Amino acid sequence: MSVANDLAVPVGTGLGLSPARARLARNLAIFGTIVVLWEAASRLGLIDPLFLPAPSAIVAAFVSLYVTVGNAWYHLGITLVEVFAGFFAGSALGIGLAILVGLNATLRRFMKPYIIVLEATPRIAVGPIIIAALGFGWTSKIAIVMLVCFFAPFVNTLSGMLSVNEDAREMFRSLGASKWQVFRKLMLPDAMPMIMAGLRLAMASALSGALVAEFISANEGMGVLLKRYTSTLNMDATFACLLTLTALGFLIFRSMELIDERLVFWRSDARAAAVGRRRANAFRSAAIARGA
Amino acid sequence: MTDLTQTTPSPALRWWNLSAVLGRVGLHLVIFLGILAAWEAAGRFGLFNDYLVPRPSRIATAIGRLYVTQGAIYWHFFVTLFEAVAGFLVAAAVGIGLAVASALNESFRRYVAPYAIVLNVTPALALTPIVIAWFGFGWSSKIALGAIIAFFPIFVNTLTGLMETDADRHEMFRSLGAKNRQLFWKLRLPAALPMIFAGLKIGMTSALVGVIVAEFTQATEGVGVLMNRYSFQLDMASAIATLLSMSLMGLLLFTLMEILDDRIVFWRRDARMAAVGKARARRALSWRTKPAAARKD
Amino acid sequence: MNSIAIDRSSAAARPVPARPRVVGGVSAGETVIEARGVTKTFGDGSVVALEGASFEAKKGEFISLVGPSGCGKSTLLRIISGLIPKTGGSLSVHGREVTEPRSDIGMMFQKATLLEWRTAIENVLLPTELQRRVTADDKRRAAELLHMVGLKDFEFAFPRQLSGGMQQRVALARLLQTGADILLLDEPFGALDEFTRERLNVELMRVVAEVGGTTFFVTHNIQEAIFLADRVMVMTPRPGRLAKIVDVPFERPRDLSIQQSPEFNALVSEVRDVLGGH
Repeated sequence: MSVANDLAVPVGTGLGLSPARARLARNLAIFGTIVVLWEAASRLGLIDPLFLPAPSAIVAAFVSLYVTVGNAWYHLGITLVEVFAGFFAGSALGIGLAILVGLNATLRRFMKPYIIVLEATPRIAVGPIIIAALGFGWTSKIAIVMLVCFFAPFVNTLSGMLSVNEDAREMFRSLGASKWQVFRKLMLPDAMPMIMAGLRLAMASALSGALVAEFISANEGMGVLLKRYTSTLNMDATFACLLTLTALGFLIFRSMELIDERLVFWRSDARAAAVGRRRANAFRSAAIARGA
Repeated sequence: MTDLTQTTPSPALRWWNLSAVLGRVGLHLVIFLGILAAWEAAGRFGLFNDYLVPRPSRIATAIGRLYVTQGAIYWHFFVTLFEAVAGFLVAAAVGIGLAVASALNESFRRYVAPYAIVLNVTPALALTPIVIAWFGFGWSSKIALGAIIAFFPIFVNTLTGLMETDADRHEMFRSLGAKNRQLFWKLRLPAALPMIFAGLKIGMTSALVGVIVAEFTQATEGVGVLMNRYSFQLDMASAIATLLSMSLMGLLLFTLMEILDDRIVFWRRDARMAAVGKARARRALSWRTKPAAARKD
Repeated sequence: MNSIAIDRSSAAARPVPARPRVVGGVSAGETVIEARGVTKTFGDGSVVALEGASFEAKKGEFISLVGPSGCGKSTLLRIISGLIPKTGGSLSVHGREVTEPRSDIGMMFQKATLLEWRTAIENVLLPTELQRRVTADDKRRAAELLHMVGLKDFEFAFPRQLSGGMQQRVALARLLQTGADILLLDEPFGALDEFTRERLNVELMRVVAEVGGTTFFVTHNIQEAIFLADRVMVMTPRPGRLAKIVDVPFERPRDLSIQQSPEFNALVSEVRDVLGGH
C-alpha cells in the first residue's frame, strides 16, 4: 500500500546536494563550529585547561604520543594483545560451555544456580583477586578480559540453542537426523545471530575489561598511560589517549558489524542476494564441469 | 547499538520464582555441599596453594568476621549501594529525558545522535581516571562514573522503543483524531516501556560496575576499596567474602528491577497479566452495579 | 453514477437498536456521502493511485469495495476517513468536505491494532478517552458494545489472552464506541481463517444494522463483497479507478445459504467480468 509514502516529507536542501550529503555537511559544520568555539574559549581562558584542554593542545599531544616521541604505540600494542587474547579465549570458552550445557539437560539444570549468581556479580569485581593470584603482568589482564568476555557469548549461545523451533526439530527427526546432525545443521546455524550478538557484546566489553585491569594494577598498557597522565594532570595527553580508545572502539565496533553481516548473511537482504548469486554461479559452473 | 537489548534474561533464569526452584533445591544443595567438601579436602591435603585459593572453611571464617563479629562490611556495602543507585537514577533521568527529546524532535535527533554514537564506541570505563580527576576522590566521582556507564543503554533503548511504534496503530490513533500529546502518552510511551525497562535493567547493572571500578581506581570507602585492600594484602579469603557482598548487591538490584519490570510491563507476562485483569474487573464493580440513571434512551 | 437507493423497508423488521446512534426517524434515502471525481496522485502527479471516483451513499447503506491489490480501494477508504488528503475532486460527508479525521467517521483496520496494555473494555473506551473524560455511562456503553459483538465475559481480558477473531471483535466494538455513523472497514477480517471470517461477516451485518451506520467494506473476496453489501463498488488497477457499481437485491437479514443461489452466482460473474475484462 502506497499510503505511507505521502507521509514522508521531502527534505529541501537548496544547495543541490542530496539530503544525506546535506545532512553530513551540516553535521560537519556544526562539529567544526563547536571545535572553533572550544578553541577560542580555551584561548580566552574561559575553560580551565586542567578540566578540558584546547583542541589544539590535544592534537599536539596526539602528535607527540604517536609521532615525535611515539611512546604510546608500545602500550597500545600491549592492550590490544590483552584484548584479543582475552576475547578469543573467553568467548571460545563461553560458546563451548554453552554448547555442552545446551545439549545436556541434566548439566543445564545443575549449572543454573551458579550461572545466576555469576550473572548478578559484576564480573569486573573479581579483577583484584585475579591480579593478586596471577601477578601484575599480562596473564592476569588476559584472565580478566577472558572473564569479562565469557558471559555474553555463553548466555546468548545457550538461549539461541534452546530457542530452536520445535517444528524444525521434528522435521529433522522425521528425516532420521542424528543428534550431531541436528546440532550441526539446525541448532548452530539457527543460534548464529544470537551468538554473534553475544560476541559483539563481549568485544565491546573486552576493551573496557583490559583498561580496568590496567587501572587496578599494571606497568604497561593504555590504562596505565591514561592513569599516569591523569594523575600528573597532563590532561592534553589524557584526552589524546582517550581519543585513541574511541577510535579503537569504533574500529572494533565496525569490524564486528561487518563480520556479523558476513556470517549471518541471511538476515540482511543485500548480503543474502549477493551470497545467493555467488552460490548460483558456483552451482552452474559445477554443472558445466560435470557436463563437459 | 541495538545489540544492547539482547541481554534480557530468559524467564527461566528468574531465581525468585520460588515454587519452581524449591523442588530441586535439595539436590542442588547436596551437589553444592559435595563440591565444597571436595574443595576443603583438596585444600587440607595441600593440593591448592591455600593463600591463592583459600579453602571453604577459611572463607567461612572470613565471612563470619566481616559480616558478623566485626560487621565492617556494612558501611562499605551501604556506600557502594548508595553510589550505584544514585548514579543509576541520574542516568535514568538524563537518558530517558534526552531520548524523549530526541524522539519528539527530529532535528535534535539528527544533530545529537552522532555524538551519542561516538560516546557509545568509547569504552566508557576509560573515563575513570578523568572523572576522578574532575570530581575528586569522594562519592560524587563514583556516582558520576556510574551514571556515565549506565546512561547509554538507557538512552539507546528508550529512543529505539519510542521510534519503533508500529504504523498501523499510529494510523488508528490518527483516525480517532488523537493529538500529538495523546499519541505520545497513550501509544508511544506505553509501547516503548518493555524496551525502556530492558535498558534500565542493563543500566542498573552497569551503574554498579561503574561504581566498583571507580572504587578500585581511587577511593576511601565502598566494597571496591575493601576488595582492593584485601587482594593486595593477599588475604584472599576476605577478598572472596567481599566478592560475595558484590554478588548479593548485584542480585538485590537486579531483582528489584525485575520486580518493577514485572509490575509495570505486566502485559508481557501471562501470570501478571491475568492478575491485573482480575484486579481491574473487581474495581469495575462500582460503575457496573450502579443503576443506569442517566440513560437517555 | 448509477447510484440507486436501496429500499430499506425491510429495516423495520430488524431488532430495535439498543441505543440508536443515528437519529431515528430520518427517512431512508438521505444522501450522506457525495464524491465527485476523487483523485489521488503521488509524487509529481505521475503515479495515479485513484482516478476520478464518483459515487454517493445513502444513510444506512452497506457498500463493498472489491478489487485486486493496487486498485486504490484502500486509498479511497483512507481519503473518505480523512487520513490522507485527496489531490483532486470533492468529497463531502454529511454535507461537509472531508479534510481530516472526524468524529462522525470511524475506521477499522485489517490488524486489530489493540493496545496490549489495556483490557478489552479499556481498548473500546479509547476513542472516548481521546475526546473527553470517561464517565461511568461510557463504561456501561462500552460493556454493552462488547456484549453486542459477542464478548460478554471478556471485558477484562487483555488482547494477548484473546484469539485473532476476538481481537477483531474488540476492534469492532471500539469502532462503534466512536459514535460515528460512517463506518469504514479495511479488510477487517482479512487475516482470519475462512470459518471465523464467515461467522464474523454475518455478525458484522447484524451489528451495523443494529446501529444503523453507513458502511464501506474493503475486501478482495468477491463472494464476501456481494454477500455483505447493498451495492458493490468494483475497482480496477493501473490506474486505480471505480469501474462499476453493482446492485445487490437480496433481502435482509441474509443467510449464508444465499451464496448457493443462481442470482448470487450471476452477480459473482458480473463482478468477475468487470475485473477480468481489465
